[in-house]
Amino acid sequence: MSAFAVRGTAETPGVPPGGPVKGLPWAVLRLHRAALLVWGAFLLAALGMLVWEVEITADSVRDRMAACERTGGGLCRLQNLTDYSSTIGWASTLVYYSFFAVAAFAAGALIGRELENGTAQLAWTQSVSPTRWLAVTLAVPAVLLTVGGTVFVFVFRWAWAANRDLMGDDWTFNDVFAARGPALVAYGFCGLGVGALAGVVLRRSLPALGVACGVMYLVNHNLEKYREDLWPAVTPAPTKGVEMSQDVWQIGDGTGRFHPRSHYWPMHLVETGIVLGVAVLATGAAFWVLRRRTA
Amino acid sequence: MSRVGDGTALTAVGLGKRYRRRRGHVLRDCSFRLPTGRICALVGPNGAGKSTLLQLAAGLIRPTEGTLTVLGTSPAAARERFAYVAQGKPLPLQLTVAATLRLGAELNRARWDQPAAERIAYGHPTEQGARDGALEPTARIRSLSGGQRTRVALALAFGKRPELMLLDEPMADLDPLARRELLGALLGEAAEHGTTIVMSSHVVAELEGVCDHLLLMGGGRIRLGGDPEELLAAHTLVTGPARDLTGHTVVESRDTGRQLTALIRPGGPPSDDWQTAAPTLEELLLAHLRNPKAPDLFTEDTEAGEEKSGSEAEGTKEAEETGKPGETGEDQENEENARA
Repeated sequence: MSAFAVRGTAETPGVPPGGPVKGLPWAVLRLHRAALLVWGAFLLAALGMLVWEVEITADSVRDRMAACERTGGGLCRLQNLTDYSSTIGWASTLVYYSFFAVAAFAAGALIGRELENGTAQLAWTQSVSPTRWLAVTLAVPAVLLTVGGTVFVFVFRWAWAANRDLMGDDWTFNDVFAARGPALVAYGFCGLGVGALAGVVLRRSLPALGVACGVMYLVNHNLEKYREDLWPAVTPAPTKGVEMSQDVWQIGDGTGRFHPRSHYWPMHLVETGIVLGVAVLATGAAFWVLRRRTA
Repeated sequence: MSRVGDGTALTAVGLGKRYRRRRGHVLRDCSFRLPTGRICALVGPNGAGKSTLLQLAAGLIRPTEGTLTVLGTSPAAARERFAYVAQGKPLPLQLTVAATLRLGAELNRARWDQPAAERIAYGHPTEQGARDGALEPTARIRSLSGGQRTRVALALAFGKRPELMLLDEPMADLDPLARRELLGALLGEAAEHGTTIVMSSHVVAELEGVCDHLLLMGGGRIRLGGDPEELLAAHTLVTGPARDLTGHTVVESRDTGRQLTALIRPGGPPSDDWQTAAPTLEELLLAHLRNPKAPDLFTEDTEAGEEKSGSEAEGTKEAEETGKPGETGEDQENEENARA
């Protein structure tokens, strides 16, 4: 026939070079390599900042505050304290709210863009069914979020507790509340699930990105607003006065009710459960929509 | 490679598709049968539903009504055995050509033919070295021209070693040289492995002389189906004094005063005072497209289990019938063609 004809080489199907990651997971990592690198750099920077602050900066802050004592400058003391406290606060705030970035990535790049420009359909007409494509496409970042998030939670718990005398925050702060437990990872899953649903439904990256971030804002905003209602608060005994410790979460409705510190885990786990519930519902809906649409 | 299934590559029965409830049907009441081993041209005007039909066959979308059988089973179950190249030739822009072929290998670990894919992507080096526009493995998809992307998309299709290739406008971006190369590769694949090839196009001339099966789409259904030679033989172009055409099926007639020009399916011998001529394929297709009321015609019974010999690589007509479906005679014939 033609010189271009393909000779019979079907007997030896080309097996791609081996490696720890093969098949569709390899494809997901390769297609989103840039995002993976950015996320890795961000996480390492946050972890590095925490370790640096605790191990290096804390001592020098103490030295400088001692110097402030000698000169008698209260402002100087406060400034040093704020520097240390706010750096650690920034790390937890950025990592906590990175679920917005996860939702934007899942909706815009991971699902929406692939469906929009047809590379998802390209995978489906290779030997990968749409269901398996969605499952693996979500599972790979979910595994990374679990590992990265867990490492961050433990490092943050250590860094937050290391120098309490230098920190101006307490456990009721929004970012501290979320970043000291599994809710941090749950928010990442929720961003992934909501982003996947928005991407599958809208099939266009930019609208999906906007909708996913909007939904995540609603979920997060309402949970933060009603966080104090996630567990029944303690009503103080009328004989004792209102406890004014730093360690309690005073509910600002004038009744004097409060959350003692022991309520942290129940409240935190209830919030984690709600966020995981949203994540599961959104992911399930994404699979349902995709299966209904494709053969 | 032996083919499995019942000797039918595609069967549609009452297939329909509409995208939005309020909008009309893109496909409606579409029925046809494509035997295996054919090189099939799917032609029709823009918006006739060619891409929708191919997407349905590729399992990317679900039909609103009717059924479509691919290689004897559902599109989802046949996923590993067919290849599909979409009209827009979508590829991950951030990958290199080599990484794209690796992607094909990773997604088809069970049946990937790397040399076949590389031959399509990089071409055969000639004595003068690589030809103009040859692809570099390290080139990013982003930097490629439309035609070069088509080569990579086709390389993914060939690397999969499919039994059925569904190609949506594969020629549109290719230069004449690349077009010849691609056609040669497709014909070689069909001859050597008995691969069924479905190519859509709105340019009829592009596929004339290459295909041995024709599906004309219009109004969301298949208007004409079968061997192009037989379809042509069933029609006659007549010119003569205006008169009654009863007894013949009139596809199109133009009355210019006393002179009448008509494309008919003769129901008997034409009158002596008529000049008759064989229509070209283009005339045949255009006449049907201009007249949606002309009855549909299939040269082979869409329901019949009989199948005709495949692989008429040079467009020559071979009308021998292999009586029993799925008989090995067809494969032997393909091998003979390959050796020729």
